[in-house]
Amino acid sequence: MTKFTQNAFIFDATRCIDCRACMVACSVENNIAMDKTRIWVAGIGLKGEYPRLERASMVYHCMHCAAPDCLSACPVGAYNKRDDGLVLYNAKKCIGCRYCMNACPFGVPHFDFDKGLIEGAFIDKCTMCPQRIDIGLEPACVATCPTDALVFGERADLVKEAHARIQAHPDRYVDHVYGETENGGTSYLILSHVPFTELGLPALGSLPVKDVSEKVMEFTIPFALGWGAVLTATAVGVHLVNQKKEANAKPPVEAEEPAEVKK
Amino acid sequence: MPSSISRRDFLKISGVAAGALALGKFLPPRAAEAARLYGLLDAASSGYIPSMCEMCVWRCGLLAKVETGRVVKLEGNPDHPHSNGKLCPRGQSGLMNTYDPDRVLTPLVRVGKRGEGKFRKASWDEALGIVADNMLSIKNKYGPEAMIFSTTHCLSQFQFENLLNAYGSPNYGTQRSLCFNAMIVSNLMTYGMEEPNRDYSQLKYIILTGRNLMEAISTSETSALSKAIDRGVKVVALDPRFTKTAAKATEWLAIRPGTDLAFHLALLNVIVSEHLYNAPFVSSYTDGFDKLAGSISQYTPEWAAGITEIPADTIRRIAREFAAAAPYAMAHNGWRTSNFVNSFQTERAIAILNALVGNWNVAMFPASGEESSGLGAPPQPSYPRISAQRLDGVPWKYPFVPLKIGVFQELRDAALSGMPYQAHGWFISRQNPAMSLPDRGRTLQAFGKMDFIVTIDILMNDTAWFSDVVLPEASYLERYDPLNIVGDKAFIRQPVIEPQGEGKSSLWIYKELGKLLGLGDYFQYADDEDYLKQQLAPLGVSLDDVRQKGYVDLPAESTEFSEPTWSTPSGKIEIFSSTLAQGNFAGVPQWEEPPVPAAGQFYLLTGKVAQFTQFGTQNNQLLHKYSDDPRLWINAATAKSLGLADNDPVEVTSDAGKVHIRLQVTQAIRPDCVYLTPGFGHLSRGLTTAYGLGACDSDLHVTYTDPISGGQALSQTFVTVKKI
Amino acid sequence: MKMHLTINPRLRLQPLVLVLLAFMGIAFVIAMVRYASGIGAISNLGNSYPWGLWISFDLFTGVAISSGGFLMAATVYIFELKQFKPLLRPSILTAFLGYIMVVIALLVDLGHPERIWYMMIHMNPTSVLLEIGICVMTYLAVLAIEFAPVVFEGLKWQKFAHIIHRFIMPFVILGVVLSTLHQSSLGSLLLIQPAKLYPLWWTPILPILFFISALSIGLSMILLESSLSALYFHRGLETHLLEKLARVIPIVLAVYALVRFGQLAIAGDLQYLFISGLMSFLFWTEIIIGVLTPMILFSIKRVRQSRKGLLAGAVIVLFGMTLNRFNVSWFAVQHPDPITYLPTFMSNVHYIPSLPEVFLSIGIFSAGILAFGLAVKYLPVFEDEEPHNPPA
Repeated sequence: MTKFTQNAFIFDATRCIDCRACMVACSVENNIAMDKTRIWVAGIGLKGEYPRLERASMVYHCMHCAAPDCLSACPVGAYNKRDDGLVLYNAKKCIGCRYCMNACPFGVPHFDFDKGLIEGAFIDKCTMCPQRIDIGLEPACVATCPTDALVFGERADLVKEAHARIQAHPDRYVDHVYGETENGGTSYLILSHVPFTELGLPALGSLPVKDVSEKVMEFTIPFALGWGAVLTATAVGVHLVNQKKEANAKPPVEAEEPAEVKK
Repeated sequence: MPSSISRRDFLKISGVAAGALALGKFLPPRAAEAARLYGLLDAASSGYIPSMCEMCVWRCGLLAKVETGRVVKLEGNPDHPHSNGKLCPRGQSGLMNTYDPDRVLTPLVRVGKRGEGKFRKASWDEALGIVADNMLSIKNKYGPEAMIFSTTHCLSQFQFENLLNAYGSPNYGTQRSLCFNAMIVSNLMTYGMEEPNRDYSQLKYIILTGRNLMEAISTSETSALSKAIDRGVKVVALDPRFTKTAAKATEWLAIRPGTDLAFHLALLNVIVSEHLYNAPFVSSYTDGFDKLAGSISQYTPEWAAGITEIPADTIRRIAREFAAAAPYAMAHNGWRTSNFVNSFQTERAIAILNALVGNWNVAMFPASGEESSGLGAPPQPSYPRISAQRLDGVPWKYPFVPLKIGVFQELRDAALSGMPYQAHGWFISRQNPAMSLPDRGRTLQAFGKMDFIVTIDILMNDTAWFSDVVLPEASYLERYDPLNIVGDKAFIRQPVIEPQGEGKSSLWIYKELGKLLGLGDYFQYADDEDYLKQQLAPLGVSLDDVRQKGYVDLPAESTEFSEPTWSTPSGKIEIFSSTLAQGNFAGVPQWEEPPVPAAGQFYLLTGKVAQFTQFGTQNNQLLHKYSDDPRLWINAATAKSLGLADNDPVEVTSDAGKVHIRLQVTQAIRPDCVYLTPGFGHLSRGLTTAYGLGACDSDLHVTYTDPISGGQALSQTFVTVKKI
Repeated sequence: MKMHLTINPRLRLQPLVLVLLAFMGIAFVIAMVRYASGIGAISNLGNSYPWGLWISFDLFTGVAISSGGFLMAATVYIFELKQFKPLLRPSILTAFLGYIMVVIALLVDLGHPERIWYMMIHMNPTSVLLEIGICVMTYLAVLAIEFAPVVFEGLKWQKFAHIIHRFIMPFVILGVVLSTLHQSSLGSLLLIQPAKLYPLWWTPILPILFFISALSIGLSMILLESSLSALYFHRGLETHLLEKLARVIPIVLAVYALVRFGQLAIAGDLQYLFISGLMSFLFWTEIIIGVLTPMILFSIKRVRQSRKGLLAGAVIVLFGMTLNRFNVSWFAVQHPDPITYLPTFMSNVHYIPSLPEVFLSIGIFSAGILAFGLAVKYLPVFEDEEPHNPPA
């Protein structure tokens, strides 16, 4: 039982000092192998020319989208979304097709390209530390952030807080809360002093990217049935027409003598 | 509670101790058992135990999550004012420090040549026996002063000093002169205390001179600065590099190295000449303003502009803004500003700048000393008299340097030169002087002059690599240390897991060694817990309570307001320092011309990164995982003009030595500077993760020392860079 | 129309067989290394490029070039255009082998090939890939059934062949439905990547475009396969039949072009046509080679009636449309951007298939060719004129 009905984060790029405590904490908390990570630094880093310089970086991990595209795309349903927002991956079902990696607009799921059949190659991604939030702690990354660049809480409240920060310092922030509506809304809300694309985030609309795909998929069975019906009708029709043609094309059968009418 | 132990008791205790020593077992099982008793750990040896980090000197309080006897996660302790529940990346990586596969877990005795890395394992008995024999032999042959003792400030400092003093050597080396002598001595001269406390909560304007708080993280202070910036506080950052702090600052000034003294003198000039200072405060609480006013008039912004390469208008504007924000304005004293010999004068200028805007008790507060704590201590017999001079020139060469601080690089040079007398032994604890002292080559040569070197460490750091005996300390998650006072609380460090291998606390090591040296009387504690109990005795609190809570409240100091006082000769803030004047140094800050690189040379800058601490953490795999390649930074335009490209291998040469490293072409540094992250280029092959990474800046550093504060001047080294 | 052919399906070049076997052997070794040490051990795939050559070539292109099967089945059985019967069996065989090659490639590409059947018990109905998976598996079964008579006749089990012939119709219809679904679904796979696939390709009607182009590919495959078989197996070429098929291609391509450009116009993406650098180049190459040129060529009767013309035209269509499949699945897809300045865990941002990857695909393809040759040699794939039982 977590404290919040919709768990969410704010990442404030103006507060992040790129110390990477969050990354070490995540690695330790979730026992991640030394050559893998669930959280990474993105962004153009240093920009400008000496001496007019700026830094822009962001740590990010799974966005725990409201309408997860990975969940939509996975053929075997290896993803599920908890009521309180966490998007979780189930290695037991995974067939390793990696379609989720294509579907995710943020490039979040990572795959074990270095593991063979016996070791088992799976997807790995941020879980939002359910082992922590279910006992009332914050995710490992948030808990340790020395500058509160990461905060955690109820999504609706955090959206308000994010906007409040922009209001309080309009010269500091890009006037937008990324993730409020992008991809249908994410649980990782981002505030930035530079355009979001400079943090490595894709420009997305509010329609989840899975939307068109799912609509098309809804058509599948009705279409299949309809098309099958059409084809069957065509086949029958063609056959009947051909039968008739054949019948017409046959040499005329000699008219039989009418049977003698038996008196 | 008895505060003294009879001789008979003592013998009994030491008998038990000796027996236990013979058995090789001492502290470990009782810690876990007691933790279990007090609910810290459950039956499966799982739970949270409060302790303190040691990945840097900030010593954040932490909560160690233990599962079946293994540390699995570290969290910041919300009760500790240095962490407030957070840990920086090094703090989070701390369990990898304890579980580093390269841990030294048994005493080691050298069998090959020094630096070959050939050691054999030995028992504690044997190893301590060898150490004691050698130390006694040196004492008998050459006198106790022939033994150098050095440590980097740590929680068992008092017992280290105890050993040193009991043994009778005056030669005490600490890292302080490599770090902040300029600041400490300046504050002592100005405020009569080593370093005032700072409070950011009301500030409106901050000037940072170096002090890269966003990378040289002191968790709570980094957080405070970040919050201040978030609030909208104006921060001016002086740094020849666009550090992560500069990136957060409101205004970054790419000041020429060594010239921040000119900048601050010009600030003082504007504030004085335009009467922007807090006159009532100055007249009530400071001494010597008139003398400053007289000498400061020459240091105009126009004068400073030519030297610093910062426009005069900028300097003037900042001075006015700073003064306008008074008293909510603070110039941060940092550790050593630009790390030049003239940094002492810069620190003086900064201290006075703060005084002029009257931010005392607003942003700067008196710091309480460690002595006035209310904690107990084991009884100490008096120490033998020491007649020998200190090798580090204190006080005969450096009259203003406190004895506890010393001039470490001078000590090293004396060990090499044999002047005024030759040292023969070196006892090192929790320190890596092979890499921290400037000019590693000289330090290794100085080692060559030693008959005997013993190092206490947890890993085979470079200094241990060159030692004759290495004694394994239990890591900070595996041991007790004396209580640590922060604010109005004393915090405990306690073992959260059984020490691995044969690791022991330094409290134990000093005591055992002390006994073998015949100095057992000076270590009147039965074991680590007994030591802590004696510390707690005056407070009437049980050790188990403290272990559960993580700290004990200290008797509150009187909160009634009293007139601020400073422990200076005048009792006031000394703008003019009579002490300095009596030593024939300038009583007010004055301009000292810094050296400049010749044509074709660069300033060699040093500085911190958030993912490592000084010279002992580079082997930590967790930190290594998320850290940047330690390449040599060079300005992009400079590189282009020299035909150098990113990742080119180059040779960097100074008067002290040369290193090979790859280039990192970047916009974030002045065109006349290069920068090397310290702490790499290890010689020890016992550090399997760190060995082979980067290059050692200490190989390049020429040793320069400020005659007043004894601080070293690392950034005065100039280098050439050439492609190889 | 009588066929004048006696089949002498002797595989002419013994060295060719050895080469094919060698490629198959290499691919086998590569696959074993992949199973032992992971996909990354033998490919340049990585977190930024999870899908590469195998998906673009073995899956996308492989499925597309197997589209001749359902076309011919529909033509012969549904539309009862019996004159095309001689083309039926080879195209079914091609499709059957094509799909087997797809499955083999998937067995290497999937992280857990041993779990490929999970798609039958764990089903996520929103997943395009599930639909493709189920359809491919089912269609493979259908193809097996459609091809079974050839096998049975080869084994001289005429009765079984008869039985299947009697009940072939539902399977043909099922096969056409399944093929329609997954030929178009390959396009649908990219629907979930609107931000990653360049606007000159991404459209909500990708499945429709894929289906239409699959028709042109299928027709071209029949032309190609017939031409090559004629060359290698010393058969005559049913040019008159092929000519009729070739006549349809320009119509299909015209419809495709209309829909494609129409969609771009409606979506307001015409602006990207010429200003997109490499993307424009790829787009126009695809259109010129895959659409415009063959449209023109196959409109010319002389081309349609010449052996060389048919082969050339078919190859051009296939080239252009293969490029289309590669564009949609790889070249025009922009993967998460490498602005990570930390030494990155998102490696391989610029993906070029490794040699082992390429050789794996070559090996699988070689197996297909070899199997085709063997089937042709030992089974009555190329019908003589003896008619079989008409459909019920």
